[in-house]
Amino acid sequence: MTSIRRTATVLRAFWQLNWLEELQYRGNFIASLLGTVFWLLMAILTAALYFRHTSRLGGWEFWDVVVLLGIFNALAGVVEAVLRPGIGHLPADVRSGALDLVLVRPVDAQFYVSFRRLDVWRFADVVLGLALAGYAFVQTGRPIGAWELITFVVTFAVAIAVVYAIWVALMSLAFWFVAVENMAALFDALFEAARNPVSAYPGALRFLFVYLIPIAWTTTIPASALTGRLRPALALWALAVGIAAIGASRLLWRVALTRYTSAGG
Amino acid sequence: MPAAILATELSKTYDVKVRDPGIKGALVALARPRYRPVRAVDSVTFAIERGDAVAFLGPNGAGKTTTLKMLTGLLFPSSGCAQVAGYDPWTGGNAFRQRIAFVLGNKQQLLWDLPPEETFRLNRAIYGVSAADYTARRAELVELLVLGDLVDKPARQLSLGERMKCELAAALLHQPEVLFLDEPTLGLDLEAQQTIRSFLGEYRQRHDATVLLTSHYMADVTALASRVLIINRGRLLYDGELSELVARIAPIKRIELVLSELVPRARLENYGRVAHFAPPSATIEVPRETATAASARLLADLAVADLSIQDPPIEEVIRIAFGEGAQDGEGNAEAEALVRADVRRAPP
Amino acid sequence: MTSGTTRSAVAVFRDQYAELMRSAFLIDLQYRASIAIWLIWGVTEPIISLGIWWSIAAAGAVDGFTREAFAQYFFGVALVNQATLSWDAWNIDRWIREGEMNYRLTRPIAPIHEAIADNVAYKGPTATIILSAWIIAAAFWPAVRIPFEPAHWALAIVAIVLAAAIRFLNGYATGLLAFWTTRATALVELQFGISLFLSGRIAPLSLLPPRVAEVAGYLWFPYVLSFPVQVLTGTITTTAQYVRGFAGQVIWLAIWLMLYLLVWSRGRRHYGAVGG
Repeated sequence: MTSIRRTATVLRAFWQLNWLEELQYRGNFIASLLGTVFWLLMAILTAALYFRHTSRLGGWEFWDVVVLLGIFNALAGVVEAVLRPGIGHLPADVRSGALDLVLVRPVDAQFYVSFRRLDVWRFADVVLGLALAGYAFVQTGRPIGAWELITFVVTFAVAIAVVYAIWVALMSLAFWFVAVENMAALFDALFEAARNPVSAYPGALRFLFVYLIPIAWTTTIPASALTGRLRPALALWALAVGIAAIGASRLLWRVALTRYTSAGG
Repeated sequence: MPAAILATELSKTYDVKVRDPGIKGALVALARPRYRPVRAVDSVTFAIERGDAVAFLGPNGAGKTTTLKMLTGLLFPSSGCAQVAGYDPWTGGNAFRQRIAFVLGNKQQLLWDLPPEETFRLNRAIYGVSAADYTARRAELVELLVLGDLVDKPARQLSLGERMKCELAAALLHQPEVLFLDEPTLGLDLEAQQTIRSFLGEYRQRHDATVLLTSHYMADVTALASRVLIINRGRLLYDGELSELVARIAPIKRIELVLSELVPRARLENYGRVAHFAPPSATIEVPRETATAASARLLADLAVADLSIQDPPIEEVIRIAFGEGAQDGEGNAEAEALVRADVRRAPP
Repeated sequence: MTSGTTRSAVAVFRDQYAELMRSAFLIDLQYRASIAIWLIWGVTEPIISLGIWWSIAAAGAVDGFTREAFAQYFFGVALVNQATLSWDAWNIDRWIREGEMNYRLTRPIAPIHEAIADNVAYKGPTATIILSAWIIAAAFWPAVRIPFEPAHWALAIVAIVLAAAIRFLNGYATGLLAFWTTRATALVELQFGISLFLSGRIAPLSLLPPRVAEVAGYLWFPYVLSFPVQVLTGTITTTAQYVRGFAGQVIWLAIWLMLYLLVWSRGRRHYGAVGG
């Protein structure tokens, strides 16, 4: 654990530099914010289009789905702010050999690689997404209780862990398939499915999203928690999935690294 | 016979966006952009005969590349005019492009993921070279540039020097009359530099091609060109024989020394002008013809750890020839960097 | 200097295209693993839309669309989308930013031909892969079988080629705005966002609010996706519908061709004035 603590100190120094650097690109902030608002609007319109032809989507009402879209946007913000600039660079580092420079440092390599760079402006997407989720929640007219709030916070943390684990899994493939440059596109494609509650999909797809590519746990579960449809048993399951995701990412990283060092880089 | 390259009062002025620092400056610039004209090339006039090789010298940002871009039809002049291979570069169209080649040392056009052979094939088709011509020219270029089996390896696996040689071959398959080379030997190892120099000389003689090149290396200039054009801050300062220039700057050599004992500056001044003094190293400028004798004396008199005799670098030649002001290309370099980064994005 | 035999301009042009396509194809082969991922990326969106509409249609047809009709429609979307993708704006943006446009401008062939050859070399094989996947799926899943009539397929191919040409010129001309602005690709994305609805990507146009569908009819969006998909899946039946659709495609092709020519000549002039 001391290695993780030391890594945290190193990362803090990195983030400070990072922040100064990012201040240079304020113009990009406006552009990316406009882009986020635009795509949020498109997503809400898409949901609205579905609801022209149905009153419920997999048992969810319109504003429930908008709550989910807000959570989707917040998670997408975490991906853009932390995962894509951090672990998303792993394949390029493996190809160029830059990973060697990380491995010789007295830091926790996985921790360091995952969080070395932040695209700070994209945290605005997280705020925007949570704000939308909050607004939509008020529109649903449901009362908010302590149980809903607590399970939401916990399951949202689980969602981040699951998304992180998926990224580690995809990016670790770079150790085996050096030639594949666009693994991130695979995540983007799969994550699209998380824009809808998983119950809105036909059986085969639902099975896929719950068990094989666990994106059901990313948006559907936190949105269920907030809208009061999460059964206590499922909340416990979510907690287990989150812990398993972190453990699996750690294990996978170890295996991948063995492969890297034994292959001589 | 008309000149292969003719530049008449060629000028290029860019409007550079002026912006005060800080957020306020950025907002003001957004609302009411201000522009400041920068003369990148200022009334440059010269003529180059067919078959000649001319070197274009000057500090970074002096206007060399801008001039080359006007001569190749990438930019049009703000005023004045150019004629290359009988065409106005800006309006010459494909007939003009068939007659020139433009090789940029820091930008490659080889297909990165494929062997150079594929780029050759592509250029054969793009320039409409007949099969018979292609076979003959390809064989000649492979021989002169000593390409061997390099042409069958993916370009990304080649060294910088190998890539540049293949780049040249690809650019010459259509046998251009006029060849523009921007820093062709930049960053290459000595052997590759040497091959490229001797190749260009040989190629020019065989095919009566006209060559205009820019370079930082004095060796490129002495090996390839008998005539030099010196440009600084957009103005043509010198156009003439290289030997005349050398005579004009008082033919000097630089003796670079590393001393193993402490020697006062005054003592070194007995041997020549001390251009640079930072113990334990020092640089002494001496007349060209006495360089050997001076070296011998230095070696005999002082405890010398290392000694080498060098040609003055181009920047130094220019400084000596035209005084201190000529060396200062920095203001201009900054302007050209700005031009590259910012002006294209300015509203029309 | 040059050989005695001069070849006709047409022969040279054909030769140029053959070699441009050959090298583009060889480069694609190097990136086949990455291309496989792009293909997955391309089909997920229609599959997700299909999944949702399939569930909605559980209770019965939605405005005349049965589950089978949705399945055929979105398989059509996946195929037509693959054949009409547009990525050139990103290339143009990079070439201008990194100075790679320069050598392209000193060659005796306009850069757009390289882009066209690149598009044909990529879309031919990848669209064939999607089509093959469709045929295999149809063997197991009757819902996605569409009638096989040669005349009707020939019309579908014409409609898809026209759609690809319109979307290509649309993307290319928008991308050329990179001569003036660094945000040209954002404009392409903006159009893409609008096209989600107006071209029929996330739902057949007839399921949109009537006003929106009407607005779409005045733009090029339906002609680059909805119309070719309808021709392909056989949901267009009357001659009048065919005539209107193809006429719309030809008109929008002409408009975007003119816009491309305009932006190209203006942009080239601007580039010549301020450099790259």
